[in-house]
Amino acid sequence: MAAERRASVTWKGDLLSGSGTIDEVGSGAFGPLDVSWAARTEEASGGKTSPEELIAAAHASCFSMALSHGLAQAGNAPERLQTSAAVTFVPGTGITKVALTVRGVVPGLDDAGFRAAAEDAKENCPVSQALGAVPEITVDAALA
Amino acid sequence: MAWEGSLSRGTGTATATSSGSFELPIDLPSRIADQPGKTSPEELLAAAHAGCYSTSLAGEIARAGGTVERLDVTCTITLDEVEGQGHRIVASELDVRARAEGLDEAGLEQVARTADEGCTFSALIRASASVSVRAELEST
Repeated sequence: MAAERRASVTWKGDLLSGSGTIDEVGSGAFGPLDVSWAARTEEASGGKTSPEELIAAAHASCFSMALSHGLAQAGNAPERLQTSAAVTFVPGTGITKVALTVRGVVPGLDDAGFRAAAEDAKENCPVSQALGAVPEITVDAALA
Repeated sequence: MAWEGSLSRGTGTATATSSGSFELPIDLPSRIADQPGKTSPEELLAAAHAGCYSTSLAGEIARAGGTVERLDVTCTITLDEVEGQGHRIVASELDVRARAEGLDEAGLEQVARTADEGCTFSALIRASASVSVRAELEST
């Protein structure tokens, strides 16, 4: 069964001095969120999000679900996974790297087993596949 | 992102640590069934693509000599089961309504295409999904 997910953005003005708002998403879980070019490219974006930050959230959550599923199927259901994703954006070039970091509480599993499961989730989760053109996707995995 | 429990019954929270802009509940049913109030990786990608494309289009309209008053961009991302591959993101559709001066329909169609080519996220997601753009001009 196909699932569709929708989001709407309003942009006003030009690229550098204008700004946008993610007005609403289909689930109603968030919005409005402010976005701007400065929030994409400069540090300390002052509460404004960016496409790259949303991609980081999407990737971290997709990876977490895939890892949770893989661990449980192998008989080692996790108690807790803490994942972060850092997306590197180079203006003019694009997204050059996604670095995933995961710390897990997984009863009955050693570090090597956890790292192998994390590699598998990184390769196969739908967002990793969709971001297959990113030159470098890494995962740093360890038991907490 | 913190996740607790199994895939089908567990829940997670996605937090934007760089801007502090959001903290959102996520779970599996929110990806494959309609579940008000909970987001999903695909919904976050739809927001990312709509945001990325908006900035790209604003830049292209200015470069073509037009002036943007307002752009409304809606992105729909489709997750589907692909035989032999499991769940995959298969499509991203962008719907654009533009209010801009100094631009006609043909000009908008042109820059809408150029903006797609220049949008970082369009380029990336083509690794697994088709990307389509529909753009129309609104009278100012």
